[in-house]
Amino acid sequence: MARQGGSDLARREQRLAYWLLAPTFIILLAIAIYPLFSVFYTSFTNNVFASAAPTEFVGFQNYQRLLSMTIRQLPPRLDEAGRPIVDPNTGAVQYESAVTVLPREPIRFRPVTQFDLFGTRYVLGATDPNFIRAVWDTIVFAVATVFLELVLGMIVALIVNANFKGRGFMRAIILIPWAIPTAVSSQMWAYMLQPNRTGFFNTVFWYLGLGNGEIPFLSDPAWQLPSMIMIDVWKTTPFMALLLLAGLQLIPGDIYEAADVDGAGPVRQFFQLTLPLLKGTIAVALVFRTLDALRVFDLFQIVLGQARYSMASFTYYELIQNRQMGYSSASSVVIFLVLSVFAVTYMRSLGVKSDDH
Amino acid sequence: MKRRFLAIWSLLLVLSMVLAACPGQPAPTPTAPPPPPAQEATPAAPAATEAQPAAPAQEGVVTLTWVGPGPGAEFEFRRQQAERWNAANPDIQVRLIEGPVSATDRIGLYLQAFQAQSADIDIMQIDVIWPGDLAEHLIDFYEYEGVAEAVAGDFPAIVQNNTVDGRLVGLPWFTDGGLLYYRTDLLEKYGFDGPPQTWDELEQMAQTIQDGERAEGNQDFWGFVWQGAPYEGLTCDALEWIYSSGGGTIVSPDKVITINNPAAAEALDRAYSWIGKITPPGVTSFMEEESRRVWHGGNAAFMRNWPYAYGLSQGEDSAVKDKFDVTALPGKEAGMSAATLGGWQVGVSKYSRNPEAAVKLALWLTSEEEQKAQALSPSSLIPTKVALYSDPDIAEQRPFMPRLLPVFTSAVARPSTATAPKYNETSNIFFSNVFEVLTGRMSGADAVATIELDLQDLLGFPVGAP
Amino acid sequence: MTTKMKRRINRILLWVLIVLMAVWMLFPFYWAINSSFKSEGMLAMTPTTFIPRDPVTREVSFFTRNYEAVFTNQAFLRGIVNSVIVATSVTLLSLAIGSFAGFALGKLRYRGKTATLYVILAMTMFPAIAVLTGLYAMINNLGIPPIPSMIITYMLFTLPFTAWVLTAFFRELPTEIFQSAQVDGASPFQTFYMIMLPLTAPALVTTGLLAFIGAWNEYLFALTFTSIAPDARTLPVIIANFPSQFSRQIPFGEIMAGGIVSSVPLIALVFIFQRRIVAGLTAGAVKG
Repeated sequence: MARQGGSDLARREQRLAYWLLAPTFIILLAIAIYPLFSVFYTSFTNNVFASAAPTEFVGFQNYQRLLSMTIRQLPPRLDEAGRPIVDPNTGAVQYESAVTVLPREPIRFRPVTQFDLFGTRYVLGATDPNFIRAVWDTIVFAVATVFLELVLGMIVALIVNANFKGRGFMRAIILIPWAIPTAVSSQMWAYMLQPNRTGFFNTVFWYLGLGNGEIPFLSDPAWQLPSMIMIDVWKTTPFMALLLLAGLQLIPGDIYEAADVDGAGPVRQFFQLTLPLLKGTIAVALVFRTLDALRVFDLFQIVLGQARYSMASFTYYELIQNRQMGYSSASSVVIFLVLSVFAVTYMRSLGVKSDDH
Repeated sequence: MKRRFLAIWSLLLVLSMVLAACPGQPAPTPTAPPPPPAQEATPAAPAATEAQPAAPAQEGVVTLTWVGPGPGAEFEFRRQQAERWNAANPDIQVRLIEGPVSATDRIGLYLQAFQAQSADIDIMQIDVIWPGDLAEHLIDFYEYEGVAEAVAGDFPAIVQNNTVDGRLVGLPWFTDGGLLYYRTDLLEKYGFDGPPQTWDELEQMAQTIQDGERAEGNQDFWGFVWQGAPYEGLTCDALEWIYSSGGGTIVSPDKVITINNPAAAEALDRAYSWIGKITPPGVTSFMEEESRRVWHGGNAAFMRNWPYAYGLSQGEDSAVKDKFDVTALPGKEAGMSAATLGGWQVGVSKYSRNPEAAVKLALWLTSEEEQKAQALSPSSLIPTKVALYSDPDIAEQRPFMPRLLPVFTSAVARPSTATAPKYNETSNIFFSNVFEVLTGRMSGADAVATIELDLQDLLGFPVGAP
Repeated sequence: MTTKMKRRINRILLWVLIVLMAVWMLFPFYWAINSSFKSEGMLAMTPTTFIPRDPVTREVSFFTRNYEAVFTNQAFLRGIVNSVIVATSVTLLSLAIGSFAGFALGKLRYRGKTATLYVILAMTMFPAIAVLTGLYAMINNLGIPPIPSMIITYMLFTLPFTAWVLTAFFRELPTEIFQSAQVDGASPFQTFYMIMLPLTAPALVTTGLLAFIGAWNEYLFALTFTSIAPDARTLPVIIANFPSQFSRQIPFGEIMAGGIVSSVPLIALVFIFQRRIVAGLTAGAVKG
């Protein structure tokens, strides 16, 4: 490397770099600085959206209300003789209602979920169970979709990178899911997932003898997230595939010729040549897909509405319906922090740092 | 070289900027004029007159911006209305804009405009649950001439709903209410001589018809469909179950939390018992359109829905065309029927530069003649003026309207004015817990107790019996 | 013989995969087309039909009124124009500006590179709804018309994306080309636009395409910024707010028809540009 190429050249290069970066920074800062600053600021107030009610500074109160959690032991229900009541059918121990053990003062905790540990039942309480659930659901959603999209996207990219008749046609086809506006495709999927035989899935399952044609995909909690993941994987795999395809095409073909001569099989070629060379592309694709998936909004808002929230749709309903601007700003900041954790982890583990040039 | 390259790039940039900007200028109807700061109270902004294509820019001409309904038949009617108004009032020109279809999108848009104190919107349509929430951004109609006389002819319940702390913030425009749709052919087939008066009767009829139809091979047939997804619509449905069982209105108009009572708990448990029996399990993801589709395909004996479904069910390819009728919803006992009040009002923004002109237009839009015209228009909007229910033309062309007068006069309002500006949160707490009951995760009694606790936290109102 | 057999099996396997992939990608799209040819009554049929059929006679019958409604809808046609203007401008601007940044980040040596990358990324780490209120207030105060507003604000999402992706691609290019050009006396900037830029053509096309589609499909900002300017509305806003006869009705068939019609220009665009991707590939072969 031309490290000693003269400090003059290095300085010229540095100056050029700053000039080239300037437009990006000017534009981004001009657009974003005011909104971002106001989100941070508002998150420490009790501001009500579009209201003349006086705004007060409330410190970390919004964050406290969003994130406070507690775990309490749940005692079993006892009969007159002081023995635990057992369900005669299932033999399961009956527990007290979670509401009775969770604290009410100074702020009320509501039950999120219950779990067993060493034979004791515990209840997880939170001041805002909807938000805690939204964070958990969104993270599960993001991890599942990004993983599936990466695997499927890689397969698709490898296929359309292969040489076959009609390749151009296939390349156009794989973009179709991405090209339909989310506002339309989400409604279409909601219709396909109808809980009766007007929906595609219930009809097909019924033809196959699975279910009675009345599976409530969108209101049964067990089906909700899998349905969302399926829709998103269908919709965004093309994005991943196209990025990976572009990466594949930057790999010079002669490398493979050399490998062919060495007698390396296609699987070994993929893991030893393609994957390492694609590392940079994969890293960028992963970062952007993960951030997008964590910010998922339209899909949840259109298909699930208020049945189940993503972090962003929770923020939306807090702002537009409940008009809690301070509170929704705080949740935006929390989203920002969750995203930062993911971004930094990716950059560290995939080596997307570039000061080593 | 470097220069030339830079030149090319900047040319590209400029080009795309120009490309981006050009539709703003030469287009026949320019986009939003730059709004001056909201505090400035100029009588007629010169920029605003340019936006009016019908009238030439003139001194003394006021231009109003009216955010109308979403695109569709109602918008078509509004457009004709605006044309008629513009022709008759050369000094007050109105520019009608298509609003979003979804109510959530619409209130989001109003709130963004109010937050920015924008004078871009003068006159707007307001859902029956919004007056309390939006009151601080709307003018008080009582401060203007002729209003008190005009609203004297409206349903008093709606006027009361639109009155916030003594200020009338919306003029009643058209109303809406929950109805029971029933299949006349099936009732006859199974030997029932009329629609059900009580919930017990409805359950029994629905079960009989469902069993019979399924035995004849229609496996998709259900007795009763309604709206069970967790959204504002569930609040409407559940309020009807509770109120018609003597369980009150969640929060009473005099600000007492009344939800925690046995009648309310029982009503919720009853609704839960329908699911899987006479109501499809998927009802917990049903909004209006999903339930209507079941009905439209001829797969339901009864449906709870709004009047809009009437015209669609009479459409040419409807499986229930001429085989159904509408009536009041059942009650716990005969005569305890309740319909949740829906409908829309006209409001005028406080940030409007021409409130007098806007009020004039609002009064005209809600006048008896115009309400009659909108009732006879293809969207059949239901009048708020009592006198129109004895109008011969309406009786002839919209026979169901006069018949439903009792339903609309006794419609029960959601507690939106009492809980303002926290109605949305109130409703959210209510329907989320009702949803827990419908999905079998909570009993009716637990749900009403939880709602009471949550509402105490939120509103700080006292607790009492309905 | 074995290699021939092996080759044939590989070929068959590839085609199986291609067919599977096409079905998976296309089936929901097919379902949208199927639904777009159905009337209200056909949509309500149980069990649902894989081809539009008359609810009574069960004959195959195509209901074309949804498409008539789409094509006679003035707003829809205007929406296409608006969407093209917005998405094209956003894409061109983001590519131009993003390729500057990408080159600097991918190939030039300077201090604070990691920090730069983080800052650019941080701009997209807020949910759109969080920045919307601030943006709306800003735009309202400055009096920016809706179309430029959309173009400017979409950059908030497309610019970091293009900058990052192009950074990755610039970095993949062999440093030797860059260095040998410099040794030949070319300035870094000359190296950038004469040598590096053409080499990344496939990346530029791909990134541009993805940014274009992102801007084409955006809903929330478009809805808010065009609230009082219906003439500036883009396709997603118009489709989501399609005319219905009654206020609570959702004209599902028409929405599907609108969605399909609006994706046709995009598919055409991909057809045109996928050749370009191949062209970029052959251009890249020169470097060997």
